[in-house]
Amino acid sequence: MGDRIELPPLHEERLPNGLEVVVARRPGVPLVAVRLVLPAGSALDPVRGEGLASLVVQCARRGTKARSGREIDEAAEALGAELGASADEDSSGFGISAPAESLAPLLDLVLEVATSPSFPAKEVDRIRRREAAGLANLLDEPGAVADRAMLRAAYGAHPYAHAPDGRMRHLARLQRADLVAFHRRYFGAPGATLVLVGAVDPEKALALARRRLAGWKGADSPPPVPPAPEPGSRRVVVVDKPDATQVQVRIALPAFARSSPEYIPAVVANAVFGGGFTSRLMEAIRVNRGLSYGVRSRFATSRAGGLFFVSSFTKTATAGELVEVALEEARRYCDGGPGAEELERAKAYLAGLYPLSLETHDQLAEKLADLRLFGLPVEHVTEYRERVRAVTADECLAVARRHFPLDGRGVVVAVGPARDVAPQLERFGPVEIVPAKQVV
Amino acid sequence: MPAVKTPTAPILELDRVVTHTLQNGLRVRLLPERGLPTVSWYTFFEVGSRNERLGLTGISHLFEHMMFNGAAKYGPKEFDRVLESRGGTSNAYTSNDVTAYYEDFAAEALETVLDLESDRMRSLQISPETLEQERQVVLEERRLRTENSIFGLMEEQLESLVFQAHPYRWPVIGWSEDIERITREDCLAYFRTYYAPNNAVIYGVGDLEPDATLRLVERFYGDIPAGPPPPPVPRGEPPQRGERRAAVRYPAQAPAVLVGWRGPEARNPDSAALDVLQTVLAVGESSRLRRRLVEEEEIAVSAHASWGWRIDPGVFLCFVELAPGKDRAAAEALLWEEIAKVSTKGVTAGELRRAQRLLRSAVLHELATHNGVAHALGQAEALLGDWREAGRALEQYAAVTPKDVREVARRWLDPARRNVVVVEPERSGARSKQEPSRG
Repeated sequence: MGDRIELPPLHEERLPNGLEVVVARRPGVPLVAVRLVLPAGSALDPVRGEGLASLVVQCARRGTKARSGREIDEAAEALGAELGASADEDSSGFGISAPAESLAPLLDLVLEVATSPSFPAKEVDRIRRREAAGLANLLDEPGAVADRAMLRAAYGAHPYAHAPDGRMRHLARLQRADLVAFHRRYFGAPGATLVLVGAVDPEKALALARRRLAGWKGADSPPPVPPAPEPGSRRVVVVDKPDATQVQVRIALPAFARSSPEYIPAVVANAVFGGGFTSRLMEAIRVNRGLSYGVRSRFATSRAGGLFFVSSFTKTATAGELVEVALEEARRYCDGGPGAEELERAKAYLAGLYPLSLETHDQLAEKLADLRLFGLPVEHVTEYRERVRAVTADECLAVARRHFPLDGRGVVVAVGPARDVAPQLERFGPVEIVPAKQVV
Repeated sequence: MPAVKTPTAPILELDRVVTHTLQNGLRVRLLPERGLPTVSWYTFFEVGSRNERLGLTGISHLFEHMMFNGAAKYGPKEFDRVLESRGGTSNAYTSNDVTAYYEDFAAEALETVLDLESDRMRSLQISPETLEQERQVVLEERRLRTENSIFGLMEEQLESLVFQAHPYRWPVIGWSEDIERITREDCLAYFRTYYAPNNAVIYGVGDLEPDATLRLVERFYGDIPAGPPPPPVPRGEPPQRGERRAAVRYPAQAPAVLVGWRGPEARNPDSAALDVLQTVLAVGESSRLRRRLVEEEEIAVSAHASWGWRIDPGVFLCFVELAPGKDRAAAEALLWEEIAKVSTKGVTAGELRRAQRLLRSAVLHELATHNGVAHALGQAEALLGDWREAGRALEQYAAVTPKDVREVARRWLDPARRNVVVVEPERSGARSKQEPSRG
């Protein structure tokens, strides 16, 4: 069957300290992608210390036992690479991608910042100030404000409810000692994965990883995973931006985790509803009514849970109409499910384009690291197309009925001038108006 | 750290590109690449906002939207439906210089894609209803990217400072009033001239067989009639004899500064050194502007520099986003100091090597996908006049010397010829009645 996704042979090894190494040699451009992922993300941030995991990752590259932050920058950039370091809700990741002849120094950089950061006090303070200033400036980006408000509204008190970059007030409170303690407690070899993809000799790369990682242990066991989030009832949150001439809209509710068997049917169900350019939402909102330039829906999945959300924007006067149309489309979908033609189209679209999501070394490295993080076998990649093609209309309907914003489920979030927007949204649920500053 | 040797093997095998020109003037460039079972298919039309005139600004971009609204064989809404049902996706963009469309798809859908693309090149249908629809969508896009975006507002001001005569002075998306005014007749005339096969080039990269593909191209596109030659673009621009400034008052959290200098055209030999200069200034944490403004002085949260390649003389940009409460004049002074430093003292050998390595890495990453290769070929042909230039970027970067970088900084980043747009934060609500939202 031509449907199977052919991956290059994966050379895998679990080191004595518990860290997993995955190496894949690939033809094509002479680059190598190096990626280290640790299962410690912003869900582990303390209640009044939102942004801690992200700060740890940002500051880890600002100095180690062997090198200053500047020396690390210079070393990476002299190799033609920029060192990436970021945290999401579930993990901390360090990545670098550059011409393959530099594999050893690239790997050294990534491992050094992840395993032996010194968190210089001056640098921690500076990065904290920079991150807080960045958050303040984020208030000028209505889409980003809407995404943050959506997490808060949909997840409630769950650890996924805050964005990884945290809040200004919390950042101001965090101390160097908090960073050191977080790193000591949660950064360890067990549960961590190192992935190398590209123009490399697998045996040599594995030997190199073994040598470089032999001395590292870190935390004894992987950090805990949060409980599944609970759904709440319908309400409306309006984030006030008095000067905006456009309203950013989100409709969201908790759904399921990445490892759920619902994942593949949900991807297909969503492709019909709010995926590509021919989705029902696109047709109803952009093509038939000209209400927006773009609209999409998505299942965003994490280790402990996930969200289903609809995302769009429209001029101030039509915010209510846009929400009405989106909710009506959700209802209509749950009445009849996808039609035969649109289901086949969605499946062909997903299956045909899937290889493009693995085209670069970076993409494949990220996918392989994700499989480990979410505890999924490699068949989730190699059999993706067969699984997509096997999804039925009934499965799509069942997923939609469970997770779409029906029957008073789901929060509506709007960012725009509250004076004009709130009256349009009252019919969808109790309205709470929050000042934009509260979101950062 | 051990010394790292830089391999010099070519990354694009240009001698494998198969080219052909149809009777009607349509140019075709094909590059078979086996790796993935997919193909990337680009159509570049040699038209962008530089081909427009006042009163019709934004027509290139609005027209790009119209291209998805149905032709003689595949009617409204059919294009994406048919493509998606065969495992493909499409998108497009409009710039100052070109309008480019692409499809990425499973290799077996090649014939379908050629059928779809040639159908709309031959017989695009423009109905009053779809035009009205897309006009509203574009106005919403403008609200998103310009009117509710600080950078969007600043960029629009900057282009109209840098250019006084050249069509680059208006935004690609167009002025709102022009977007509202464009008629169906305008669109039809535009289509006949600029979307004729003699004004287009096709690039196919991926899992395809060149000879068989050329036969398919001949079959699908061969009967489309050539159009009249497009009228020439006025390229003149009076010399700039002093700094120009504009302010944008906006309820922003922090000030920001956007500076632009008119540079050379993309094909000017200085272009490669300007790319190096941009990298020295603002790519990577150890670049000059990021180190000085973000790390040492902590006056900015970010600093960017970019040299934008265009057909006619383009713009070298610097953008500094300040931290809330910081002084804009102080940030400007630092920026001028850094620019002056590079113009007088140049760059070190180490900085040059770092920039060359970063640029090499960026080129390799760009050429890592079928889409990236097809796009690079199209860009090179549109902006430099020859698709073969796509493979030469690395040699050109490698040939740049520290002296070249100092020279281009001195030549193009002259303080007397800079254009400065600043954001002056004002209290929220201060102008809420000035621009009522459209009903």
